[in-house]
Amino acid sequence: MSTSTSPPRADKWRSRFGYRTIDLVTAAMLGVAFGVAYWGWAFAYNGISVAFAAYQPATGLLSGPWLLAGVVAGLVVRKPGAALLAELLAANVEYLIGNQWGASTMIAGLLQGVGVEIVLALFLYRRFGLVAAGLGGAVAATLESVYEWGAYFSSWGMASKLVYLGCFSLSGAVVAGAGGLYLVRALAGTGALDAFSVGHERRELRPG
Amino acid sequence: MSCVPAEHGRPASLRFAGFGWRPSGRLRSVVCDLDLAVEPGERVLLTGPNGSGKSTLLRAAAGVLGSDAGGDRYGRVLIDGAEVTSTPPNAGLVLQNPADAVVADRVGRDVAFGPENLGLPRQQIAERVTEALRLVRFEPPPQTPTRSLSGGEAQRLALAGALAMRPGLLLLDEPTAMLDRESAQVVRAAIIEVVAATGATLVVVEHRIGPWLDLVDRMVVLDAAGRVVCDDKPLEALAAQAPTLERAGLWLPDLPPPQPLPVDPAVVAPAARPPGDLLRAEALEVRLRTRGLRGRREVVALRGVDAAVTAGVVRAFSGASGAGKSTLLAALAGLLPPSSGGVRASSGLAGAEQRSPSLWSSAALAARVGWVPQVPEHGFVTRTVADEVTATAARLGRRVNVPALLAALRLERLAGADPYRLSGGEQRRLGLLAALAHRPAVALFDEPTVGQDRHTWVAVAGWVAAMAESGCAVGVATHDDEFVRGVASDALRLRDGQLIEC
Amino acid sequence: MLARANPLALLSLGLLAIAGSAGVRSLQVAVVTVGVVVCLGVVFVPGLRDGAWRLLGPGLGAASVAFSTWLLAGHDPRLSATAGLRVLVLALPGALVAPLIDPQRLGDYLAQRLHLPGRPVAAMTASLQRFEALSGEWAQLDQARRVRGLGPGRSPVARFRHAAALTFGLLVATLRGSARMAVAMDARGFATATARTWAEPAPWRVIDNAVVAGAVALAALPYALSHWL
Repeated sequence: MSTSTSPPRADKWRSRFGYRTIDLVTAAMLGVAFGVAYWGWAFAYNGISVAFAAYQPATGLLSGPWLLAGVVAGLVVRKPGAALLAELLAANVEYLIGNQWGASTMIAGLLQGVGVEIVLALFLYRRFGLVAAGLGGAVAATLESVYEWGAYFSSWGMASKLVYLGCFSLSGAVVAGAGGLYLVRALAGTGALDAFSVGHERRELRPG
Repeated sequence: MSCVPAEHGRPASLRFAGFGWRPSGRLRSVVCDLDLAVEPGERVLLTGPNGSGKSTLLRAAAGVLGSDAGGDRYGRVLIDGAEVTSTPPNAGLVLQNPADAVVADRVGRDVAFGPENLGLPRQQIAERVTEALRLVRFEPPPQTPTRSLSGGEAQRLALAGALAMRPGLLLLDEPTAMLDRESAQVVRAAIIEVVAATGATLVVVEHRIGPWLDLVDRMVVLDAAGRVVCDDKPLEALAAQAPTLERAGLWLPDLPPPQPLPVDPAVVAPAARPPGDLLRAEALEVRLRTRGLRGRREVVALRGVDAAVTAGVVRAFSGASGAGKSTLLAALAGLLPPSSGGVRASSGLAGAEQRSPSLWSSAALAARVGWVPQVPEHGFVTRTVADEVTATAARLGRRVNVPALLAALRLERLAGADPYRLSGGEQRRLGLLAALAHRPAVALFDEPTVGQDRHTWVAVAGWVAAMAESGCAVGVATHDDEFVRGVASDALRLRDGQLIEC
Repeated sequence: MLARANPLALLSLGLLAIAGSAGVRSLQVAVVTVGVVVCLGVVFVPGLRDGAWRLLGPGLGAASVAFSTWLLAGHDPRLSATAGLRVLVLALPGALVAPLIDPQRLGDYLAQRLHLPGRPVAAMTASLQRFEALSGEWAQLDQARRVRGLGPGRSPVARFRHAAALTFGLLVATLRGSARMAVAMDARGFATATARTWAEPAPWRVIDNAVVAGAVALAALPYALSHWL
C-alpha cells in the first residue's frame, strides 16, 4: 500500500513550514558557499571599485551580488528563516575570514536576511517568482543601506544618502533579485535541486 | 522528545515485504515488490548492476529514503518487526564518500554527533565516543582535526560515528569504493572486527565483491529492475550469476585483468608531437596555502621531487591518499606555482612561450596540456554534452569530430543532455572528452578510475593507452594497482610529498 | 589572554563596538578611542605584536569612508578623518578578535547559553567546518577552467563571467554535497533531534565577565570622552 496519500491539515502545515534536515543543511551550506564565493570575488574584483571612486554613492550599484545568499536560499528552501540563516552564515564566514567592517558584517547579514524574509512573508511564502525575488532584494538592500547611513556614512548629505540607497536597492532588485531567480532556475536545471519544489517545477517542463 | 531505541545494541532483523520505491519524476520504480529477510547477526553482501536499487534498500532500512528526494513508497520495511520511520533507527549507515559524513572539525566531536542527536547526557556521550573509536581501532587522538585524516581513517571515523548510536544493524554502501587497496583492507578488517564484537547484523553493498566473499554468510543479487534474482551462499551465488554480473561491469574475483578498450588513434593523436620529456619537475617544492576560517595554513605538499612526463609513455604517480600525487600533477600542469625548484617545459612543447607552465596564459596552457580533474563535475563549463566536447577546441580554433568522439566512449545518445544530469560513469567519460578533445600533447589524469566499474575502467584505460601510443606524454595520479600494472609504462611512488624507491 | 574567553563574550566585544562608534562625534574623541583600541589590542590580542596585518581590512574600510566623506561632505579634512576613524572604532575590535572565535564552540554557546534551537545551530557548525573544503572546490573549478583555455580575461566583463561561472559550479557542488550530508546526518538521528544535547559544555567564567565588562567600557568610552573633551 502506498504511503503518499494526502495528509491531514497539521501535516500540511508541517510539510510547508517544517524544516527537513535537507532544508536546514542546504540553507546553511548555501550561506557558507556564498561566503566562499564572496571571498573568491574579492580577488577577481581587485581594482574595479577604483572606477567608482569618483562618485561614492554609485558603489551601491556594485553591492547587489552580496545579497545573493539570502535571496537564493529563500527561493530554494521556501521556508521561513532560510534566507536569514543563509545570510547570517555568509556574514559569519566573511567576518571570521576578515573583512573591512568587523562585527558590523554580522549586523549586515541580519538586516539583509530579514529584508528578504519580510518580503517572502508578505507573500505568505507562496510566491517565489520575479516580483518576490526582486522586491526581496530591494528591501534587503534598503535595510542594509539605512544601517550603513548611520554606521558609516553619517556625514554625507541626505541627497548622497538617497542616491546610495537608490543605487543599492536597484542593484539588489536586479542582481540579487532577478539574478538570483535566474541562478536558482539554472541550478534546478542541473538536477541539484531535486529535493525542493523548484526542482519539481523545472522537471515538469522537461520531457523524460 | 528524543527517543533512544529501547533495545539498542542487540542484533536486529531486517525484512522487506513487498517493498517498492519510485523516486518522483521517474516513470518506473527503482525497486518493485521486493521481499527480503535478514536474520539477526547475519552478514549479507548485496550486489547488482548500477541502478538496481541497492542503495535504495540500504537507505530505506536506515530510514533516510526521503531525505534528499521525494518519492512514493510501497510495502513495508521492518527492523525487529517494527516499521522503519524517521525516528532514530536501530541502524547505522555508512556511505561511500567519508567526506560527506563529517560534521565537526575534530574527531571526537564528530563521533559525538549521533549521541548528541539522541539527547544523551554528556557523560554518556563521552563514553560512547571512546567506545566507538576503540571498536574501529582508531589511533589518532580525539582532538585530531578531521581534515587531516586519510581516506581510510575518515571512513573508519564514519563507521565509529554510526557505531556510537549502538545500532543492531549495520548498513554499508560501498564503503571501500574510493580507497586504495591497503586502506580498503584496513577498513574491511575494522568492519569485520566490529561486527564480530557487537554481533550486529551486516548488509554491505559492493562492486568489488572478491574480498567480501569470505567475510559474509550470504549474497543477494539484484537485477537492473530491482528484483532479487539470486539469494544464496556467496560462492554458489557467484557461480550462478557470474555472467550477469560480469556483463554489468562488476569486479569479480576470478576474471582476467581488464583489457583497455581500443580507441581510434585519429581522435587522440595530438596536433603537434614534440619528443622527449615534455614537462619536467626539478627539485620541485610546492607549498599549499589553505585559508581556513581561523587563519591560513601552509602545508609542504611536495619536497624536492624530480619527475617528468615523457612523450609516448604512460607514467603513473602512485601512493596513498595525501601523498602528493594530485599536487604533483597540478604542478606539472602549471596550475600550482612552485615555491622552490621548478617545472620546465621542453622547448618543443613550449614553442614561443616561456619554459615555465605556471606562467602561461590560459589559452597557451590549454593548447599544450589537458588535465582531467578528479571530480568530473568540476570540469564542466557548458550545459550540453556536445558543447562540452567542443568548448576548449572552439577557444583554440581547432576542429573536433564530435560524433566520433562521443561514439568512442558510448555517449552518442547523450549529445544534447545536460552534463550535470548524467550518471557517474557517463560524467567521467564526458570529463575525459571535455579535457582532451582538443588533442593536446600532454595529458594528465587525476585519479581517473576511482570507484568505477569495469566498463568505465576499460574505456578510460583505453583512452590513456591510445594517447600514449600516438605520442602524447601521459601522467596519471592513481592508487589503482590494476591500472598501474595494466596500462602504465612505469610508476613513481610518492609518500608524504617525496619520491620513494619502489 | 583573550584566547581563553568564550565566543559569545568575544562577539560582544565586536558588536558593542558598533554601538560605541555612534558616540564618536569629534576628531579628538576618535583619535583617542582608536588609540585605546590599538593599545588594548597589542596587549591582549595574541599575535598582534608580530603581525599588524589584521588591521589592514578595517584600515581599507576606514580609508574608503574617509575618502568618500571628503568628496561628498564639503572637502573637510577634519570631518573625513573623523568619519574614517569612526569606522576603525566600529570595525577594529571585532576584526581583532575574529581569529579567536572557534565556530564549533560558538555553536555550543549559541545553543546552550542563548537557547537558540538546536537543529539550526548544529546545521550551522556542520556547514562552517566545510569552509575549507568549499574553498578547495573553488580552487579546483578555477584550475579546471584555466587549463581548458577559459581562464579570466583582462576586461571587467570577462572577469565577471569567470566569477559567475565559478560561483555556479561551486553552488552545484555545494547542493550535491548538502544532499549527501543531509542523508548522513539523518542516518545519525538528526531528523528528530529537536531536543539534542551538546557534547561540550558552555561555561561562563570570570574572564568572560571581564571581557564583557571591557566591551561595555570600550563602547562607553567615546560617549564619556565626548562629554569631557
